[in-house]
Amino acid sequence: MIKGLWWKMLGVILFLYVCIAGFVVPLKPGIYNASPTNIKAGQTLNLSIEGYNSHYKSAEELTAFLKFDSIQILKATDIKVNSEQSIEATFNIPEYINTKKKIAEATLIVDNATDGYSIMPAAVFVNSISKTPSQVDWNTDFVNDLHQVDAFAFPFRNILYETIRNTFFHVAIWMSMMILFIGALYSSIQYLRTRDRRHDIHSYSLTSTGIVYGLFGLASGAIWAKYTWGTFWTSDIKLNMAAIAMLLYAAYWILRSSIEDLDNKYKLSAIYNIFAFVALIPLIFVIPRLTDSLHPGNGGNPALGGEDLDNTLRMVFYPAIIGLTLLGVWISDLVSRYLKLENIIQEKENIL
Amino acid sequence: MKLNRAIGLIVCLVYPYLIFAQSNVDFIRSTGKIYSVVAVVCLLFLFLAVYLYRLDRKISDLEKKIKNES
Repeated sequence: MIKGLWWKMLGVILFLYVCIAGFVVPLKPGIYNASPTNIKAGQTLNLSIEGYNSHYKSAEELTAFLKFDSIQILKATDIKVNSEQSIEATFNIPEYINTKKKIAEATLIVDNATDGYSIMPAAVFVNSISKTPSQVDWNTDFVNDLHQVDAFAFPFRNILYETIRNTFFHVAIWMSMMILFIGALYSSIQYLRTRDRRHDIHSYSLTSTGIVYGLFGLASGAIWAKYTWGTFWTSDIKLNMAAIAMLLYAAYWILRSSIEDLDNKYKLSAIYNIFAFVALIPLIFVIPRLTDSLHPGNGGNPALGGEDLDNTLRMVFYPAIIGLTLLGVWISDLVSRYLKLENIIQEKENIL
Repeated sequence: MKLNRAIGLIVCLVYPYLIFAQSNVDFIRSTGKIYSVVAVVCLLFLFLAVYLYRLDRKISDLEKKIKNES
């Protein structure tokens, strides 16, 4: 396939970089937990807030807000600092909150000069709201006072927390698998054009490695799902479609091993490979976007954009794709070299 | 040789379980669920190791074949 040693070393170095940078770069400060979550309107709420990677004790200008909507924002009257990761904020919840629902949902915002501001959506629910409108002193101009701190850190996302680092392995392996399958597709087309055995060997080895990558993608996704969504396997559309795609490619292995006649075997497996790739694209990239999915990118949104993949993540994510692809090509290269040797021996035996 | 490789495979397969067998679910969920990422990386290594082991075995067979012929 590719000559030389440099690309193998590049793959190793990139993967090593991903393993080190992917684990060493910290998460941005965030809110890990806040309790209690339910409060009646008109009462005083003593909210104990648990921070993550935060510096509440050493930070200056520590403030906390409860945001019901863009106008109704409540500032904490008092904040008691217990430690760097723990504070207790006191809010005087008003009798009346302008909302159409029976329960008002508030976003918690904690802001300080060192960490910048961190947000926890749906942190507090206020019930038994008074029906009669009354004047409340909201802190509407708070947005101008928030601190924006640029740190070299991965984004802090609720529920995900540190598992956002799985992006470098789970998501990157699917991307690498796609690149390997594109290589296999190219080799299959080349085989059908030239009927050169080498292209069939390349196609087979790239597809095999791609299937192993895909199986790892499913297994790693199951682990990630267990600790974020709660179960190893859900009826999420992208999961099932990816499983079907992997089954399609598993059938490639079975098809290959079931045909005795060599010419037919190579020809049919090349044709089937093209078919499997054509089926893979809608299964993984199109159908999950047409319906609701737990994966990012549902409803036609781009999956790798916005807040899901910020620039710090990109600095590790793209090298992860390149590194894993190069390692995959390396393994495929070993497989195809083995197959070529086997081919030579078989030809010798046939002559004898 | 064969025994060594078998032991190597068993160690590869069992090692992650040895780590996680002693722990409960709370361990994996502690410190921001970081150990689920560790589990994923271990799994990646395991998949590649098993795949390379199978390739290794195939090449050994080929080597034996050549040895027998010569």
